[in-house]
Amino acid sequence: MSVPVGSQVENPRPASPSPVPQRPAPRNDPAAWRQKFPGLALPGLVWYAIFTVGPVVAMFVIAFLRWPGMLVDPGFAGFGNFRDVFADPVFWDALRNSAVQIAVGLPVMIVLAFLLAFYVVRKPRGHQVLRFMLFVPALISAPATALMFYSLLNPDGLVNGVLETLGMSGRAWLADEATALPSLIVIDLWAGIGYSAVLLASRLDSVDEEVVQAAMIDGAGNGRLAWGIYWPIARDFIGVVAMLQFLSILFSSAQNVLLLTKGGPGTSTTTLSYLIYQKAFVDADLGYSQAVGIVLFVLGLAGMFAIRRLLRPTH
Amino acid sequence: MRFPRISGILAWGYALLLVIPFYYLVISSFKQNDDIFTHPLNLPSTWDPGNYGEAIGSADLVPAVANSVIVTGLALLLTLLLAVPAAFALSRSTGRAGRVVEATFSLGFLIPTFAALFPTFLLAAFTGLFHTRTFLVFLLPATAMPLAVVILTQFMRTIPRELEEAASMDGASTLTILRHVHLPICVPGIATVVLLCFLSFWNEYLYSLIIIGPDPAQRTIQVALPTLQLTTGTDYGVLMAGTVFTLIPVFAVYALTQRQMQRALVSGAVKG
Repeated sequence: MSVPVGSQVENPRPASPSPVPQRPAPRNDPAAWRQKFPGLALPGLVWYAIFTVGPVVAMFVIAFLRWPGMLVDPGFAGFGNFRDVFADPVFWDALRNSAVQIAVGLPVMIVLAFLLAFYVVRKPRGHQVLRFMLFVPALISAPATALMFYSLLNPDGLVNGVLETLGMSGRAWLADEATALPSLIVIDLWAGIGYSAVLLASRLDSVDEEVVQAAMIDGAGNGRLAWGIYWPIARDFIGVVAMLQFLSILFSSAQNVLLLTKGGPGTSTTTLSYLIYQKAFVDADLGYSQAVGIVLFVLGLAGMFAIRRLLRPTH
Repeated sequence: MRFPRISGILAWGYALLLVIPFYYLVISSFKQNDDIFTHPLNLPSTWDPGNYGEAIGSADLVPAVANSVIVTGLALLLTLLLAVPAAFALSRSTGRAGRVVEATFSLGFLIPTFAALFPTFLLAAFTGLFHTRTFLVFLLPATAMPLAVVILTQFMRTIPRELEEAASMDGASTLTILRHVHLPICVPGIATVVLLCFLSFWNEYLYSLIIIGPDPAQRTIQVALPTLQLTTGTDYGVLMAGTVFTLIPVFAVYALTQRQMQRALVSGAVKG
């Protein structure tokens, strides 16, 4: 359930330079009353509270319950679920897999997306076509993406077919412990680079052309232009895109794992978000599942603050 | 002007990686298994649409598309019914309450709703709407609320207050002002929200899978598609025909609204 989320997180800024200054209005004027209390926002707020905030709050309650299955009456567990989670080697495998997925996937994605965006905004021949194409992975649902890669990476799929005509031997990419997690990272990259590049390009588009021209007159090459001018200017926004993709990898990996590897072979592709799914809907260990949910929640917030610190604006 | 060489190679290399899977997907959807294995990149000798018939039949894709249309359409409508008045109210409120409500919606971006999959499932069971499309129609607008409200509020702030005052002097009620003054001006903002929500609602998978479940009469296209893996085994031609079939509606919408959609996704994610 991913809506593109953005920098509103950072600074919800009105499109107009500033809110219209308040002016005195006559008493009992509905407009004056509206200025004080946004009553028409209540239905939306209630809806949002019931269906989005409610379940998140419930997650924090369930994490402290001992609840081995839907049909069993839950009892209080205190920190018991967290003790179980931290004592479980599967949890540590999942944590490691999620960490690898992010530590490898995210920097590669952001750097490649930045280079792509830099290329596109310099308006080379065909940049319109490129912009059109970069967007395509963002249109495709998780199941369609998964089935596509299933057909590419299976033992008799396209990748092995091409390798064999080149005289190399293929392998069962998704069923091999050594390549299953890297395959999932490749899918994240395939799907995420184009979308991130489109977002970054929208920011790079607004870089002042005069600054760029001046630098080029001073003899700056493309490398200096990219890393010396565009990157620092777009730094805060790169942070926003990095956060967006960080959350997307951390939380949405459950979909690809469910569709392609079911966490295996062994626990080699069990990520934290898949572990939540598996414990809740396969193993029916509900307290455990939601305890991992809280760990994920905390990691998500911590990661976002870390990215913000790392890529905060320098000017 | 000289263009960056390395990033050029990267860019077109990536473009190739985007195109090849689709090429493979489309040509394979017209082939039989042994042809796919032995000549993976050759065009099919005959363009036989039989795989499509089989995919659509064995995974009940037609009712699934109908369900997706119903769920997406109703959820979009509900999103607008909730978000437009909310944005109207927030754009006009200057008091503390307005700021608190707006901040509450903005904080929604930080909530990783995925972690709450199981409590959402409980809520569906509790309301008696488990295994129905109806619950998804209720749930999806709630997940879109932060984005929709924030975008529309920013849009409505740009509308001069004088317009509203003039209308209210003429005796227009609040709802009349919303309908006849704000809505027409906000069409681009509403289009943005509709496009963003369309993509996220249409492509929603995990919640649909858990909440609607396997019933072919209720499930959406995204839930129906992976069942092809089970029903057809490893008949790749059929699998890929089904995948192509589900991509057609989104690609049609993208081709038609390309400019608006790019702008929508950019403005949805970027206002900083």
